Amino acid sequence: MNRERAQVFADATEAKGDVIIEVEGVDKFFGDFQALKDINMNVGRQEVVVVIGPSGSGKSTLIRCINRLEKHDRGRIVVNGIELTDDLRNIQEVRRETGMVFQQFNLFPHLTVLDNITLAPREVRRMPKKEAEELGMRMLERVKIPEQARKYPGQLSGGQQQRVAIARALAMQPKVMLFDEPTSALDPEMIKEVLDVMVELADSGMTMIVVTHEMGFARAVANRVVFMADGQIVEVGTPEHFFTDPREDRTKLFLSQIL
Amino acid sequence: MTASTLDSHPLHPPRIGPLEWIRSRLFPNLRSGILTILLAPVVVYALYRGALFFFVNGRWEVVTRNLTLFMQGTYPRGEQWRIVAQLMLLALALGVGTSTSAASRADIAREAGLTVGKRTPLSIIKRFWSLIVFVLVLLYFAATVTPWLVMAGTVAAFLVGTSARFIPSRFRNIGWTLAALILVAAFQVVVGTVGYSWMITAGVLAAGAWATFQFEGVEGRRATVYRTSVAVAAAVVAYFVYTVLVFPGVGWDHWSGLHLTLWVSAFAIVLSFPLGLLLALARRSTLPVLRWVSTGYIELIRGVPLITLLFMGQYILGFMLPQGTDPSSITRAITAMTLFTAAYVAEIVRGGLQSIPHGQTEAGLALGLPTGKLMRMIVLPQALRSVIPALVGQFISIFKDSSLLYILAIHEFLGVRSLVHAQPDFRVIAHAESLVFVAIGYWAFAYAMSKESQRLEVRLRAGKS
Repeated sequence: MNRERAQVFADATEAKGDVIIEVEGVDKFFGDFQALKDINMNVGRQEVVVVIGPSGSGKSTLIRCINRLEKHDRGRIVVNGIELTDDLRNIQEVRRETGMVFQQFNLFPHLTVLDNITLAPREVRRMPKKEAEELGMRMLERVKIPEQARKYPGQLSGGQQQRVAIARALAMQPKVMLFDEPTSALDPEMIKEVLDVMVELADSGMTMIVVTHEMGFARAVANRVVFMADGQIVEVGTPEHFFTDPREDRTKLFLSQIL
Repeated sequence: MTASTLDSHPLHPPRIGPLEWIRSRLFPNLRSGILTILLAPVVVYALYRGALFFFVNGRWEVVTRNLTLFMQGTYPRGEQWRIVAQLMLLALALGVGTSTSAASRADIAREAGLTVGKRTPLSIIKRFWSLIVFVLVLLYFAATVTPWLVMAGTVAAFLVGTSARFIPSRFRNIGWTLAALILVAAFQVVVGTVGYSWMITAGVLAAGAWATFQFEGVEGRRATVYRTSVAVAAAVVAYFVYTVLVFPGVGWDHWSGLHLTLWVSAFAIVLSFPLGLLLALARRSTLPVLRWVSTGYIELIRGVPLITLLFMGQYILGFMLPQGTDPSSITRAITAMTLFTAAYVAEIVRGGLQSIPHGQTEAGLALGLPTGKLMRMIVLPQALRSVIPALVGQFISIFKDSSLLYILAIHEFLGVRSLVHAQPDFRVIAHAESLVFVAIGYWAFAYAMSKESQRLEVRLRAGKS
């Protein structure tokens, strides 16, 4: 490895500027199975980090620890200056600042699209109904489906549902967005419409951590790519170097299998 | 399917003529044709014997002469006006309630740019046809003009109640409050303003006031404070009105007949639902003690026959209550029925809760919803919707099982028969006739409940196509 490249990797492993998420020495167990092993990772403000890796490598577990859908067993996770502990108030505060988009959308089927979006602003932020609905419509315009506001999730296509899910998370005006394989449950022709929304979101300066198998997205949008395997971070780098010139054998093997 | 209406109606097959119907339904092929020819005489004979019993041989004097007894049993005759007033008030409450419900659904539909199926006299008849049949049977057996007058008054009260649809949509909650208050009044016009009954009225008034008062330009925590004060004020007013207005009545230990059956069932159903809900939530709680208590209760109750519980209510409940409290046997029976049904409701609701994917909870948590709101706004609405048929089935079951009170010497609808057949004229005859009459009564209400549950199911499925 020549010196210049080593320098680039060294830069890329650390977040630049203002750090918004700190993950330090995090371990996570499911029974006897260790899902995360000594994870260290920082994310800077306005940074887009894409996490890739084979299934079962702990990618989803990692981002689910960041908003405490899973409780980490060791180490420290700090989001926007708030450390995640057993204190419920801290957890609530972190969740308010963190939006999450799921693989299975998880929209509320008994509520209209607009009600799905306005529920949290009204109930958590105590926003008046009218204001929340205006906000909701703005978010729907942002994901380009304002005409679906009065429909129920079951009446929309998968791609539309996932865009509603993004709008729902954005309506809480989060500082960070977590995406857990947002396009994996979609039919191929709908993947693009969701990725387009995510690209625009990244361009607008949103801090994002994205678990995905969409390498094109990673290449185009990511500031850094994190490769995980067997619960460990194997390699971190800028997309250019990551895809063209990976260091680790494990990474090379993975890339050769998917590209 | 497009959601052009708020109700999603199942598709009907195209209409066909009677001849075509006979051909396609009764003689579609040789085997079915032979079956039709063999079975037709059996059906015709059964219908003939049935008609003979109903219209020729039946000694229906047993019903005609005892109609009042079947309806209200040994209830004091001088106080009958209360029951008539109750019937009218119930009809009034039903009118106010259904028209408010229809109007609020129309509001929602208008907002969403949809249309609602129009309510016509025919649709109402279709919806309540079993009850209408029962009323017609009653009127058929009426020996005097009084039942006709009562029925006319009831219909009139219902129609007056439907004028609630003219309440502007901004004050829709007034309609609901009004319906609830009239319902309470309907109960109290018979029992009177006894004991702690002011609490029910105070609760209804407070809830209504809370829901109705929305102050212009006041939002958030300040609005909550304002609305809470108005609600408390309403409750206090109710308390003082009740202390000033003492209205004695006829306690339910003096009730019997169909009147008693309906109220006992209504109380068991209305009380067992929240209790069952709490038990279901407790059984899924993360606190072990709550979980054990709830599981223990549910398994204990489900392992004991209702009749055992009813007897225990009569003989053992006294040991568990503080000295000096001596609830009437009706109160004891309602308690036993409620405790029994709650255990089953809990298991049904638990099934519903388990059917909700974990992703729903995670999505709510990720949005920062506290667990209470998550349960109330995300999980429970979906869970309860999915168990409506099972829940209503349980309620129909406890309604019919209220006939077991007969064994406790409480003369509910079925038990009245023992009074009727104690009369010299009917000691040995007409047992079948009185049974058939009672059966029609039970069926009419049970079927109406079942039909309403189907309606509710369809309605709540709206938009989920």
